[in-house]
Amino acid sequence: MNVRAAARSGPDTAWAMEAAIGRLLVAGTWIAMTLIAVGVVLTLASGVDPLAPGAVAPFDPGSIRSALVALRSEGFLWAGIVLVLALPIGRVVVAGVGFLAAGDWRLAFISAAVLLVVLASVGAAIRLEG
Amino acid sequence: MTAVLVLLAGGAAAGVFGSLLGLGGGVLIVPLLSLAIGLPLREAIAISLVAVIVTSSASAAVYLQRHVANLKLGMTLELFSASGALVGGLVAFLIDERVLAALFAVLLVWVALSMARRRDAAPGVTADTQPAGAIPAVAPTEGDHRAGQAPRLVPALAGAPVPATFAAAISGPGYLVRRVPAGMAGSVVAGLNSALLGVGGGIVKVPVMHLVMGVPLRTSTATSNLMMGITAVASAVIYLVRDQINPFVAGPIALGVFAGASLGSRLAHRVDVRVLRWLFVAVLLYTAVEMTLKALGR
Repeated sequence: MNVRAAARSGPDTAWAMEAAIGRLLVAGTWIAMTLIAVGVVLTLASGVDPLAPGAVAPFDPGSIRSALVALRSEGFLWAGIVLVLALPIGRVVVAGVGFLAAGDWRLAFISAAVLLVVLASVGAAIRLEG
Repeated sequence: MTAVLVLLAGGAAAGVFGSLLGLGGGVLIVPLLSLAIGLPLREAIAISLVAVIVTSSASAAVYLQRHVANLKLGMTLELFSASGALVGGLVAFLIDERVLAALFAVLLVWVALSMARRRDAAPGVTADTQPAGAIPAVAPTEGDHRAGQAPRLVPALAGAPVPATFAAAISGPGYLVRRVPAGMAGSVVAGLNSALLGVGGGIVKVPVMHLVMGVPLRTSTATSNLMMGITAVASAVIYLVRDQINPFVAGPIALGVFAGASLGSRLAHRVDVRVLRWLFVAVLLYTAVEMTLKALGR
């Protein structure tokens, strides 16, 4: 659905926009759960003990794709987890664009500020880690 | 192999009982991972946050499709809950795990007391009234509202002009949001609580919205569920960057919680949870004692 058109054309389409955000979350959650389920099955098949001291797969965004292609369990698990983390961010982005299109500058600004807080979290964590 | 199944089952149990009893999964997952499985408390909290996001996204999806959650109010307050979570996520790495354990013990006692004081609800609670931690069972189609059911709430993005005052702008039909600054302050506390202890923070947000801000209980619960996701993300990314999320543990737990919470929302219509609730009050108090012992280093 075109978010801008939906926001401008009245209450009916605004209802549709909330429903569209809902559908985004439903679809994203199911995709994430499917990715994680595949990862769990592969973990079971590979005999990895998640609680063993050596069973670690540090988060490395650059290696997720290659792990997926190689059908390694950590690739699917990380892809699912990253998608889980991305869903609420996506929801804020979609809502923010909707508020912007509707001319509700205050809520659009708040949406942007929420995203900035998440960005600040990432930045602060990287800075502390470094 | 056994460990994976144990994690799946543990996550599912937390999802089912959390859904039936109105607890966010974190209150059950953190003790499960730290006390029963022996993970370091910070890792348990980090993994619990992932599960909180899963249940938040799944339940918020349904609440938004039903137009039960107040998106404008949620987005306003989540700016403050996410800010609190940012601070909490950083503070969590500065304080001793024993302090975290002590704080968690206090939370468990608080939750147990809240459960004990809650009015008994008969079986057949509708999905719309399900509390935090529950994933509403059925997502209606858009047509449900047009097919004769009068919408209960004004959509957040309606094309109507923005009301003059901010409080009015984030209010819903039949209620005017009041004491917005108090709600913002409460949201900061909820975010701190979420990030430090790996919980959704509904135990703070719902009373603040309902009792302080004058938002109807059902809307408060739905809006709290909506807010939990981005609030948890704000601290989860800190735990993620600092390598506190083990995907081999987080995966089965998240999957189990998702399946369990979905199942629990379906069972809620058929199960009389009164006895279960008192049993869980006892379990939570026992867990609080164990957490206290952990805090004391015993």
